[in-house]
Amino acid sequence: MAPPAQSQRSPSPSQPSGKSELSDLKLQLRKFAGSRAPGVDDSKRELFKKVISYMTIGIDVSSLFGEMVMCSATSDIVLKKMCYLYVGNYAKVNPDLALLTINFLQRDCHDQDPMIRGLALRSLCSLRVANLVEYLVGPLGSGLKDSNSYVRMVAVIGVLKLYHISASTCIDADFPSMLKHLMLNDSDTQVVANCLSALQEIWSAEASRSEEAPREREALISKPVIYYLLNRIKEFSEWAQCLVLELITKYVPSDSSEIFDIMNLLEDRLQHANGAVVLATVKVFLQLTLSMTDVHQQVYERIKAPLLTLVSSGSPEQSYAVLSHLHLLVMRAPYVFSSDYKHFYCQYNEPSYVKRLKLEMLTAVANESNTYEIVTELCEYAANVDIPIARESIRAVGKIALQQYDVNAIVDRLLQFLEMDKDYVTADALVLVKDLLRKYPQWSHDCIAVVGNISSKNVQEPKAKAALIWMLGEYSQDMQDAPYILESLIENWDEEHSAEVRLHLLTAVMKCFFKRPPETQSALGAALAAGVADFHQDVHDRALFYHRILRYNVSVAERVVNPPKQAVSVFADTQSSEIKDRIFEEFNSLSVLYQKPSYMFIDKEHRGPPEFADELGNLSIGEAEDNVVPSQRVEENDKDLLLTTAEKEETRGSSNNGSAYNVPYDSAASVFASQTQIESAISNPTTAGHSQQASFGIDDLLGLGMPAVPDAPPSPPQLKLNAKAALDPSTFQQKWRQLPVALSQELSLSPQAIAALTAPQALLRHMQSHSIHCIASGGQSPNFKFFFFAQKYKESSNYLVECIINTSSAKAQVKIKADDQSTSQAFSTLFESALSKFGIP
Amino acid sequence: MPPLMGIEFLCRVSDVLSDYLGGLNEDVIKDNFVIVYELLDEMIDNGFPLTTEPNILREMIAPPNIVSKVLSVVTGNSSNVSDTLPGATGSCIPWRAADPKYANNEVYVDLVEEMDTVINRDGVLVKCEIYGEVRVNSHLSGLPDLTLSFANPSILDDVRFHPCVRFRPWESHQILSFVPPDGEFKLMSYRVKKLKSTPIYVKPQLSSDAGKWCVNVLVGLRNDHGKTIDSITLQFQLPPCVLSADLTSNTGTVNVLGNKTCSWSIGRIPKDKTPSLSGTLEFESELERLNVFPTFRVGFKIMGVALSGVQIDKLDLKSTPSRLYKGFRALTQAGEFEVRS
Repeated sequence: MAPPAQSQRSPSPSQPSGKSELSDLKLQLRKFAGSRAPGVDDSKRELFKKVISYMTIGIDVSSLFGEMVMCSATSDIVLKKMCYLYVGNYAKVNPDLALLTINFLQRDCHDQDPMIRGLALRSLCSLRVANLVEYLVGPLGSGLKDSNSYVRMVAVIGVLKLYHISASTCIDADFPSMLKHLMLNDSDTQVVANCLSALQEIWSAEASRSEEAPREREALISKPVIYYLLNRIKEFSEWAQCLVLELITKYVPSDSSEIFDIMNLLEDRLQHANGAVVLATVKVFLQLTLSMTDVHQQVYERIKAPLLTLVSSGSPEQSYAVLSHLHLLVMRAPYVFSSDYKHFYCQYNEPSYVKRLKLEMLTAVANESNTYEIVTELCEYAANVDIPIARESIRAVGKIALQQYDVNAIVDRLLQFLEMDKDYVTADALVLVKDLLRKYPQWSHDCIAVVGNISSKNVQEPKAKAALIWMLGEYSQDMQDAPYILESLIENWDEEHSAEVRLHLLTAVMKCFFKRPPETQSALGAALAAGVADFHQDVHDRALFYHRILRYNVSVAERVVNPPKQAVSVFADTQSSEIKDRIFEEFNSLSVLYQKPSYMFIDKEHRGPPEFADELGNLSIGEAEDNVVPSQRVEENDKDLLLTTAEKEETRGSSNNGSAYNVPYDSAASVFASQTQIESAISNPTTAGHSQQASFGIDDLLGLGMPAVPDAPPSPPQLKLNAKAALDPSTFQQKWRQLPVALSQELSLSPQAIAALTAPQALLRHMQSHSIHCIASGGQSPNFKFFFFAQKYKESSNYLVECIINTSSAKAQVKIKADDQSTSQAFSTLFESALSKFGIP
Repeated sequence: MPPLMGIEFLCRVSDVLSDYLGGLNEDVIKDNFVIVYELLDEMIDNGFPLTTEPNILREMIAPPNIVSKVLSVVTGNSSNVSDTLPGATGSCIPWRAADPKYANNEVYVDLVEEMDTVINRDGVLVKCEIYGEVRVNSHLSGLPDLTLSFANPSILDDVRFHPCVRFRPWESHQILSFVPPDGEFKLMSYRVKKLKSTPIYVKPQLSSDAGKWCVNVLVGLRNDHGKTIDSITLQFQLPPCVLSADLTSNTGTVNVLGNKTCSWSIGRIPKDKTPSLSGTLEFESELERLNVFPTFRVGFKIMGVALSGVQIDKLDLKSTPSRLYKGFRALTQAGEFEVRS
């Protein structure tokens, strides 16, 4: 028996000293490989444990693959499981060796024990090696027909995995229709649920490729399927229930009686212990009743209690997620929740993210009847130890005041805050008092009396200081020493770091001057002098402006600076109602937690194209690219404004790899471009041999975008592409189906390009810099598939490209379709040259 | 993907793991990574949650325990995976293991309530609510069908049920009818709001006397339920500007921790006196007024009573086996019970 394995009954993972440990393990594994002696399993288990613990902590033990596979012939399930785990982890990097495992996995798929059958099938499907796909079809087919539901359940998910490895194999084997049959007939609900999730994923991914996919997807939300699932919903596991409920939200009932039937059937789901089920049900209810206003209100009443209960149970994370959804609902229909305001009171030791949400909700639900209590409660928080929350609650008080309920009492409270003698409280209260005065000038008398007592030295925060200064200027006639306070502030001009404060100071001094000229004159002079000398552009400009307007005509200046003011009635909302509606549509998703719609955080740059899928349907949209204009391009844009065309050419010449090509041109250039016939302006030494290029001898002289010919005469290229083109995937799909293939050719790629094409993303970025955008990409070495699109500059004419690159043969199959057939040749040349530059630094 | 699905699932994973491993921390996971892998394998596949019911998992993967360890040493057969698939994966009652056998048929019902209260400085109840759970521990043979009814179901504000509870009987007669999972589980949770009084009162007083700040806190009972209150504690955070605090109490012990948290554990309230805490605070600089007032968090435990007034009426077993032992308990404890000063 192996001594090291014995010495450690439960090995805590330790770093292996080096290669020697690995070879040691290898030797020992080899020793047990063929042995069937009793007790061998135990020692094997220790060895396997070791190997897997190394694997878990990130040490590469793939060199043991062969030995591990040899040892896998065993009847011990735990050993098998460990072995499956190992194989699943390393098969992807060792496709050749993975072939070895197929044999024993396939054998296990016919084992007596359904557990082993299931496990083997799961591992088999988890290998994710493209060239082993053919071995999957058989076991999967028999797995789907297995008598044991556990095996069927695994097989269904296996089909989905197969689809991700090789979609065509999966479709060809007719698995989707088998899944559909299983979904509608299987007795085990987990099998049904797995079928549903697999079918949903397959059809939505397939939607771009086949005609029937959208139809099949529609069929999933057809009445019979929905009713079948609804009737069995109680048998499903809680997670599957979520899945079904999500599906139901997409279903459009034919009439209102159907809506009520569904809601009656699902009503008890609101009392489920699992919060996910409750929220999914809430979403169904909200979506179903969107068109029925009065029922929608009743739904709010109905879901209120379950949601409030969910908030008070469970971990802080759970309650935060529920609270975010509640927040959304409260914002939409505050009046429904106005009697439950006490639920939104903050507890002392809640995390501050929860408190913040609650404060916003308290603000929203405030109305005539509860304002007094809510404000009293908020004032308690102002004395909170948690400073950000204290500030937040002061702001909440202010917001409630601006909502016009019981302003009288609130103003008193705010003034109390000012007297609280705490920096941050004073600061926030000042800002609020300023806003209040803008809305309710009638309160100025009371406020000014208190504000006048505040020493400007105690106010440090720029926003608060600006607010104070604004009030000094606006109400200088009521405040005895306003001019003198301003004067002392101006004396310390240089110590004032915030430009905002200096701007306000200038304006305030001006206002004060018109009201009390003799007292302010000297201060105004000093302020203007300091302002004109200020290094900040805005301050400088404003000072100069005041100076000149005063010299021009004092009464005009007064009308400009100090016009009669109207009370502000509504402050601008920070989030548009459109965005709020978008978030509401995405109820029960992360959008609600982030408080922004999904397109704002599903950014292509951050996510990258999905690893397995190379279809259009579930790929992200090109619009994200607009947000991430490379800084270089921005710079180029700036230069464009200043430089002449000739200079531009030089800059372009000296800038690297020709990425300046996509700089938008001025309009004159584009007129010229449209006059000129379809021609491409690009040539490239590496592809110069191509016949199309030879015919454009004149363009070779232009040498656009080419570092090699920097002194070429300035002339814009004839076909220009829009650097910020946008096209959504569905339009792309539609166009791709409609348009005929304009051009189809095979290009060869340079060795550098092949070397650089390790992942699809690399090419995407390169092509993007040539104004050719990728809408979908996928594949693994050696086969990559891309769908590109480009848009003619200042025209809506689109070019669509399918490009299949095989890195082993260094060939690219390109199919081009174009809205404007006549320009497709020019675009092809452009595309070719862009592709040919890939990989060349 | 719905956020709660993710969070709920993670919570479930952590519950199951700590159930299996008797705790959840890095070392425990490292020591039992094989079990962890096995469990995760069954709980999630291709990103979709599968089996999360502890009873079924337990049948598929035996938890590591001393018995099985001893057994494995003795017999040399250490497979911790059962040979057969659990029957319940196919049954329509997914939470119940197939046909367990017990010599004693027992079922225990616990009412556990938590009281969330906010009291302001004038002693007025700002908010008082009870969150309660009915926890059942059942060890019953076969497929028992239980019904549980409350004496006063109308006071429950909102309820949530374990999936085993049938909805219709509750809707029509407020009766809980269910086939329980084996072992311990949470049958339902409920909320009762708008309670009128608390079992305990806390009267904090802060007064300034010649530059010194005096704290005086009184704790007492509002005796209206006749049960003793245990393990009373009081915690509060001293304002950050406090330099030192000199606090004494006539019962229990007072500790001031490093982060200026002051905790006073009283335990049971003695019959002859009212517990009080008094002392002085010393500030960094002389203050005319306090701007930050401490919030007192109170903890207590009352055995044998559910303060919301919820009472279990009876528990019946439909198919009566030979004998059935039923046990009921109630417990109320402080949840977020805070008193402002």
